[in-house]
Amino acid sequence: MSIVSPQEVCLTASALVACLILGSLHVRVSLWLLGFESTLIALATGLFFLHTNERNLGTLAVLIFLSKGCFVPIFLAWLTEKLQAKRDSSCFLPVPLSMLLCIFLFALSFQLTRQLPQHHGAEQSFFGAAAGISQVFSGLVMMMTRRLAISQVTGFLIIENGIYTFALTQTRGMPLLVEMGVLLDLLVAIMVTGLLMFKIQQSFEHIDVTQLRDLRD
Amino acid sequence: MITIGSLCLLPTILCALCVAGLSNAITRQIAVALLWTQFAIATKIVFPVISGESPACNFSDDFGLDVYGAVLLSLTNFVAACSFTQAAIYFNCKQKDRVTPNKDHEKSFYFFGALLLIAMNFVFISENMGLLWVSVEATTLCSATLVYHERNKHALEATWKYLIVCSVGIAFALFGTILFFAASQQTGFEGTLDIRILLERASTLDPKFLQLGYIFCLLGYGTKAGVFPLHTWLPDAHSEAPAAASALLSGSLLNCALFAICRLTELVMMTEHHVIASSVPIGWGALTALTASLLIIRQTGIKLLWAYSSMENVGIMMCAIGLGTPSLFVLMAVNHSLVKVALFLFSGNIIQTIGTKRINRIRGVLQISPACGLGVALCACAVTGIPPFGSFVAEWLILQSLVKKNELLAAAILFVAITMAFMGVGKHICYMLGGRAKSSTRTKIPFVSLMVPLILCLCSLLLGVSTLTQMLLEVL
Repeated sequence: MSIVSPQEVCLTASALVACLILGSLHVRVSLWLLGFESTLIALATGLFFLHTNERNLGTLAVLIFLSKGCFVPIFLAWLTEKLQAKRDSSCFLPVPLSMLLCIFLFALSFQLTRQLPQHHGAEQSFFGAAAGISQVFSGLVMMMTRRLAISQVTGFLIIENGIYTFALTQTRGMPLLVEMGVLLDLLVAIMVTGLLMFKIQQSFEHIDVTQLRDLRD
Repeated sequence: MITIGSLCLLPTILCALCVAGLSNAITRQIAVALLWTQFAIATKIVFPVISGESPACNFSDDFGLDVYGAVLLSLTNFVAACSFTQAAIYFNCKQKDRVTPNKDHEKSFYFFGALLLIAMNFVFISENMGLLWVSVEATTLCSATLVYHERNKHALEATWKYLIVCSVGIAFALFGTILFFAASQQTGFEGTLDIRILLERASTLDPKFLQLGYIFCLLGYGTKAGVFPLHTWLPDAHSEAPAAASALLSGSLLNCALFAICRLTELVMMTEHHVIASSVPIGWGALTALTASLLIIRQTGIKLLWAYSSMENVGIMMCAIGLGTPSLFVLMAVNHSLVKVALFLFSGNIIQTIGTKRINRIRGVLQISPACGLGVALCACAVTGIPPFGSFVAEWLILQSLVKKNELLAAAILFVAITMAFMGVGKHICYMLGGRAKSSTRTKIPFVSLMVPLILCLCSLLLGVSTLTQMLLEVL
């Protein structure tokens, strides 16, 4: 663990990018950052592939780059254009504060990773695991503090990226079938939420989900 | 492979028919025929397992069926067939009244309903935890469209809440699944997600990853099952969906999530860290049942009432899972599904006739239709666990085993919860059945639309009074 490998640099960078997403209220900027974050993760997967020569990882790297790195951000950006939702507003935490909270959680996730059991022999990446946990936290903060439906979806994607990062660094040889199924589910989920956002815009004339509270009793 | 294919074939045909552009009236009839055939096929597939010829059957590397999965699989297909039959009757009535706003909505109901059925079948036959997760997430995505069937603001809000809460919840289950995988490869073995292999080498799993993974999976699948405090999506989704879809959600989708929890609990029970797999589900289940029974008392909508009652039953089933008695869980699930489906279908009829979901505006159901009123009363007795019905036996056995295992506090809480749920449901039911109906709403409910729920009610009664329960318990 003394020398930090390039894949760990990529993953740590992606966790920091996830914190940066929290710092921007412009939907477009956060979507580009999301694409960048996913690309970094795809890059790390590719580097792992070169390192271990597992063919699954190579396939996955390409799939992740195409789906999460390109398709999803572009689709969501197209959606924001259609829905005229350019700026988000934070609902109960000011933006700088939520970003600071994320940086704090980033540090905390290193502490949490220390508690995890160590592998016997297999290469386990300390930084990668911390980056994964940190991204899950960032995604959760994003989902809790933002108003726009599109930001909620962004938050969900950050959580998913975090879980994937954790899986990438803590396990070897996840069955490809499972990974593909997860990606497929994710893509369908994005499409369905995208369609729903259109409907929300049509019926309520905004996509501020904190105002959807007719059913609350 | 052929078995899996035959399980998916008929729903896939139904999907194709919806896309093909047949008229709605024909699609409806074909859908009913296809789904009852599907139920027959499913029963034929699970028959060797249920009849005890073989303890479990393996379809391929990742798919197989144990006896609990077998019972639930055939139950799910039965529930689906009943719901779709009722849906056909409902759509027929609507067509006669000339109030079909959009023909495509009905098509999409059948299309996504069939997809949902495929996804649910996969939940029960997946022996791979990863594929189990994929199937559960797929059920969420398919059923979201069913919740959105009415296409109004409230349905939209409920669907959005359902999709977001369940997706995030299920994401935690994915995290848990990965932790299970990590736990399996700690001691030099190659990692696996196959539950059968994991059960064999339960003692070699890494304890820390295992416990963390179990907690995360419990959180994730618990969200889908509607345990307190992650239940927020459940009442709204059940209340806004059309009656047939609510019946599917409550009668089979909750079972899917609970089945996933049951599998994992079984696995963790085999290790030396079995304490976590019994105390957490029992405590959580008791808490859920108690909260739900408190919420039942102040409900304002008839379908909200049944939604919270489902939540109470989920709590009881969680206790059964925590006790390490999957047989009691399955028994409870069978009884609950039969009755709850009947109740949702009855409620659909009542809402259609009277034109409101609000309990305080529904009066004189017995006067409007004695058969419907009597059916609702019987089913309400069944769902709250009154003696001649099957759920009484299940609840009694669960309480008994709780006391035997010295979980006295949980038993007491559960007892209070069951009692309060009975009082709450009883109060609302008496209000709705009694009184005089407004003269404007005195339209008859056609008897044909009461057939399905009445038969379901009868099934539950049979489970209680005959030796069927005994036989079922012997099989399990």
